[in-house]
Amino acid sequence: MKKSKLSHFLIFMAPALVLIVTFVIYPSLRTIFTSFLDENGKFSLKNYVEVLKSRDTFDPEGFSRGFPLGTLLHNLIWIAIHLPLTISLGLILAVILRKVKGGNILKSIIFLGMVMPMIVGGVMVRFMFDGSVGVVNGFLRIFGIEGKTWTAYPDTALFSLIFGSVWLWTGFSMVLYSAGLETIPKDFYEAAAIDGATPLKIFFKITIPLLKPVTVVVTIMTLLWELKIFDIVYVATMGGPGGASNVLALQMYTYAFRELNYGKASVVAVILTVSTLLASIPLTKSAGELR
Amino acid sequence: MRKFIVVSLLILSVLLISKTLTVIGPWAGAEEEKFLPVLKAFEEKTGIKVEYRIYRAEDLANLLPAQFSAGKTPGDVIFMWGWFILDQAKKGHVMEVSDIISEKDYLPGVLNAVKLNGKLYGAAYTGKVKPGFWYRKSFFKKYNLKVPSTWDEFVDLLEKIKKIPGIKAPIASGNGVGWPLSDVTEHFIITFAGPNVHKDLIEGNIKWESHTVRYAFEKLVSLLKKGYFGEPTEWTMALKQWWNGDYGLYFMGSWITGMVDDPDDLGVFALPGAKGVVFGADYAFVPKYTKYPEEAKKLLAFLCGAEGQKYQVQQGGHIATNKLVPLDAYPPVDREVAKIIVKMEALTDLDDSVGGAFQTAFWDQLKLLWVKPDRLDDVLRVLDEKMK
Repeated sequence: MKKSKLSHFLIFMAPALVLIVTFVIYPSLRTIFTSFLDENGKFSLKNYVEVLKSRDTFDPEGFSRGFPLGTLLHNLIWIAIHLPLTISLGLILAVILRKVKGGNILKSIIFLGMVMPMIVGGVMVRFMFDGSVGVVNGFLRIFGIEGKTWTAYPDTALFSLIFGSVWLWTGFSMVLYSAGLETIPKDFYEAAAIDGATPLKIFFKITIPLLKPVTVVVTIMTLLWELKIFDIVYVATMGGPGGASNVLALQMYTYAFRELNYGKASVVAVILTVSTLLASIPLTKSAGELR
Repeated sequence: MRKFIVVSLLILSVLLISKTLTVIGPWAGAEEEKFLPVLKAFEEKTGIKVEYRIYRAEDLANLLPAQFSAGKTPGDVIFMWGWFILDQAKKGHVMEVSDIISEKDYLPGVLNAVKLNGKLYGAAYTGKVKPGFWYRKSFFKKYNLKVPSTWDEFVDLLEKIKKIPGIKAPIASGNGVGWPLSDVTEHFIITFAGPNVHKDLIEGNIKWESHTVRYAFEKLVSLLKKGYFGEPTEWTMALKQWWNGDYGLYFMGSWITGMVDDPDDLGVFALPGAKGVVFGADYAFVPKYTKYPEEAKKLLAFLCGAEGQKYQVQQGGHIATNKLVPLDAYPPVDREVAKIIVKMEALTDLDDSVGGAFQTAFWDQLKLLWVKPDRLDDVLRVLDEKMK
């Protein structure tokens, strides 16, 4: 009986296992293996040393001179600005639009940024910040401020992309928070109101704590997206000017497809995977505890 | 009924048997319209159908290595950078075409980019010259401007254009991935460091931080600092803005003649003292994995031969690499370009020749230099690092 159960288990699991092994496990192991091979096919740490020592990855001179600071720091800056902004904006919009007439239509419009392919989003970001036709400069001109092509300057290129991507990604957190808000029982709000709690107190003491599982999911998904960010940067600035908006995924692409150096590209892939795991495991764990 | 079935089967078998070659090239829009007649001429001549697909060289650089490794190809004749063709030829993915391409029919040295151990692995199609700064004759006439013959006159001209009301900057700066900036930079290198230094840079015989190269860059930087160059703008948008009078000059290749409303209004001049000019040929090759090797080679021979190139140069904006193309095939506007290059040494495009990671780094560093000219030292240092 036990044997037949095991065979049934294996039969049903086999298709999924074959797919996972072929398309996830083998390529991952192969990438790790490649990252340790030098140009002569010998096992060494040379690729790691070269990538980690490279100015492309970390450029301390940038602190005194200005951008670029290196892809590692650029990704961290991206996370530091983009993550809190998208989460807070998504939450605020979800709460505000919940009770507004036509709120669902507004939510759909905001969500359009998320539905759009990120390549198209990147092109739009480039034009949004353009000196002649950009909507950002059009807005600034109302206040008499003469704009510039923000993506063309090293000091503003990365920030332009980050703020542009906030527009593209906020719809995601807003939709998840909207769904989360529907799961909070109305009794809680009614009881709090009877007890005389102010709307602000209700928001901080009821809404935010009860949305914690949603916040964990949004944080994990956003963090993973930020770490692997590529398409917007590739289309809008190609990592420039002078590497000022370069990110890890684009660095990996450059190593692989411009330098044709798959060893160094694999090193960046490993760094990205490790960073992703380091970021997502504790968050996933806390999500499990919440359940 | 039986007749119908027989006829249907015949049509089906003809469709299945008929060979369709796929050509992959970078030309889209107006440039594509001028390339399609060449393919049509081949179809009419041979009866072989040809399909054209557009891929940017940057995208092909990602796609082709993986396809070739799997023994497949997305096209039968592919237009690509010379350095990339050679790289793939070394790996055994490219067909040798020495039997169909006669080197003596081409401009001297133009096939070197696709030659390996004395064998040809591709051929040169037409090329584009990057002759200098384009201007509208009507614009110069309206503001009483003159083509400069010395560096001082050139700077005076820029100053005069800068003072014209409504002008954004004297020179438009085309951007995108960055190649338009590299073209104007190469022109400065050729003019102020000389054609030999340009060649040495390609071969890695001289450092970017060397005195001679720095001198050429300092000339460029002096103009950038004075605001004579506009902000880098997507190059087709910059073209429209320049044509509409937002800028006075635009450094671009000879293909510009096919992209403006009135090519007769175009004038061009090189930097005073320039002794060389970049001539960028378009290279094509036949991948080893084509299903129709003989037909593909026939198409390559046609395109790169005198007949195919003649069809292309007649459309304007292209200069033949094949010496057998008659001069009267060119439209009048291209003769002005020809006048410039006849006195100068034809040089290969620097970043296209070096290729690889250097090419994108070069474009990217120039984008930085354009907005931060005071960071010249950083730019030259990075270029030296990327050349290694």
